[in-house]
Amino acid sequence: MPQTEKVQTEKLKTKKVQLEIVQTQKVQSDNPSRDRILQLIRAGLRTTVAEPAAMESGRVIFEPVVNPLERFQQECVANLMECALTPDSAASAQQLAKVLQSLPEGEVFVQDDPSLRRLVELAAAARATRWSNQGAPAEESQATVTLAEALIAQTGSILVSASCGGRGASVIAPCHIVYATTAQLVPDLASVLSRASNERILDRNSFACVISGSSRTADIEKILVQGAHGPRRLVVILQTT
Amino acid sequence: MTQTAAQRFLQDAAVKSADLMHRDVILFNLKSYDAAHFRGRARIKDWEAARQKCQEIKREAINHLDRYLLQFEEKVVARGGHVFWASTSEEACAYVKNLATRLNVRTVVKSKSMVTEEIHLSPALEKAGIKVWETDLGEFIVQLREEAPYHIVTPAMHLNRGQIAKLFREKLDPKIDSDDPAYLMAVARRVLREAFFAAEMGISGANFLVADAGVIAISTNEGNGRLCTSVPRIHVVVTGIEKVIPRLEDLAVLWPVLATSGTGQGITTYSTLIGGPRQPGEADGPEEFHVVLVDNGRSQLLADAEQREVLHCIRCGACLNTCPVYRHVGGHAYGTTYPGPIGSVLTPHLNGLNEFKHLSYASSLCGACTSVCPVKIDLHHHLLQNRRNATTTGTAPPGERRMFRAWSHAMLHPRIYALGGWLMRKSLRIVYGLGLAGSILDPMRKWNRYRAPVPLPSESFRARWRKDHAAD
Repeated sequence: MPQTEKVQTEKLKTKKVQLEIVQTQKVQSDNPSRDRILQLIRAGLRTTVAEPAAMESGRVIFEPVVNPLERFQQECVANLMECALTPDSAASAQQLAKVLQSLPEGEVFVQDDPSLRRLVELAAAARATRWSNQGAPAEESQATVTLAEALIAQTGSILVSASCGGRGASVIAPCHIVYATTAQLVPDLASVLSRASNERILDRNSFACVISGSSRTADIEKILVQGAHGPRRLVVILQTT
Repeated sequence: MTQTAAQRFLQDAAVKSADLMHRDVILFNLKSYDAAHFRGRARIKDWEAARQKCQEIKREAINHLDRYLLQFEEKVVARGGHVFWASTSEEACAYVKNLATRLNVRTVVKSKSMVTEEIHLSPALEKAGIKVWETDLGEFIVQLREEAPYHIVTPAMHLNRGQIAKLFREKLDPKIDSDDPAYLMAVARRVLREAFFAAEMGISGANFLVADAGVIAISTNEGNGRLCTSVPRIHVVVTGIEKVIPRLEDLAVLWPVLATSGTGQGITTYSTLIGGPRQPGEADGPEEFHVVLVDNGRSQLLADAEQREVLHCIRCGACLNTCPVYRHVGGHAYGTTYPGPIGSVLTPHLNGLNEFKHLSYASSLCGACTSVCPVKIDLHHHLLQNRRNATTTGTAPPGERRMFRAWSHAMLHPRIYALGGWLMRKSLRIVYGLGLAGSILDPMRKWNRYRAPVPLPSESFRARWRKDHAAD
């Protein structure tokens, strides 16, 4: 390495270290308790605690999912979700039209995505539509239509992220419609979470959510009420691939 | 004279256990919980393996707490979020209050968070003129009643639908004419929708802080937590430092186990992950994201070799639900933020052993709590350890200490012991003979007030032993 380049690299390194020191000092001055708490934690952890033996390997916690599609449909029923299996996009559009017709008049919010633009064109060209590139859904939206990152068979859930039309897209309207394909099915939570890790879904999104049914409460006498603060209906239009 | 916490507990517990209506409501609710919990556990192939896995995850996290908290912080800061570390309740409240004042916040919507109850955040904000709405249905109900949550998962478990309808009629709308739970939920939804869209700040807790992904995880059902963290322009998370877990994949077992232990569900409706404010290109979300990490005595527990595992608690409420004491005295009698077995173990560490040592005795040591704990905390042995610590640190009242000194003296001197036994038998025979059992003159009145007296033996155990073994 030429001498000058070496010197420059060294200089850059020093600069970086200095910058880091400044940043740490800033954090410290804004938040003196940060260091105090970290010191207390480190001091406390010096006490050693006897640890019981680790679990023997080979124990299976959850029954493995054999048929993801079948399991997903079963769990949807248990979660009080609606799941319609469709053979192609024309049938999906028909299904979407049917769901939208069952809802009162009013605006529908749709994730801005080419596949959903095509679908809505076919299904509900006449409806007032607000696209996610225009911001969050309005409070009085009748429905939201989005894609999903994945479908989870084990729990009958959909995984959405901020890329699926944002945060409000899955909670503000009384009906949330998800357009997905069977290729998006994953067997269980473990596989969806490791995929989320590997694909860095949370580096690209400030938000993700595993949704397992419509919003609900049982706070009064443990009686299940569907439709608490979020949607009363969660509809999955599941197109086979 | 002001009552001590112990006196208040005894009094409230006596009142509550004799309140038959309260007993009906709580036993009815807990019976439905038991059934759901049992069904939920049956859905998991190897429940014991699941518990052990959760225990190992939490142990790994707590044993490297500094490292995982810093990892979490780094990721959040990189997304443009803020992380504030608070040693005490006051510090945490002051941070949120100053933030709210600085950003002109007038209305706050809150989703359920026991840590905000622990640090008394809502009163601190209200004192600064900020309106705070609890938005979880159960929390909303107890807020309207100006009560503390009765339970850490189901805050209004002590009320029936009639009481809730009456409350809504008085506080929200005199025209409410039904006590149907769906109708009451709709009323609350209508009122709170306005709050969600008017509020500038949403405050939530966190069930987990995921270190490797740098996100908070919130498990909810109603969707109020989702709205609190999506609609207002500021989102503040208030949580304890012990909530951290190492990896995103750990949630594959923690989510189902928390839901199963909490309500019997396979997973909660919304298992949400949030890592920062709205990012460029996202349709919506808050502009500001703050995480307040509250210590408030937790770091002290790390140095306690016996009880460090108390920090593994994931606040599912299973130990409350199964506890025979909780089932009879209810959540409010404890007079603490965290009631039930975990509260009796934890409160002396957070709020002082001397004032709250009585909670360690509010237990039959039956071990039901330990048997259901999804992270396998040895709860009933921790209650025993707290009893021991309370006596060895010399905080027992003088009367009690004198009594035990006299007792140990008698135990070491057979003649005094025999004399004591003889005196007791004679005097009790006279008291019982006069029909005064349970009266003020009865030395055994605490036992005999509600029970038939135990028949008195004619002679001492020692005398019988001598007689039976005379031939030996």
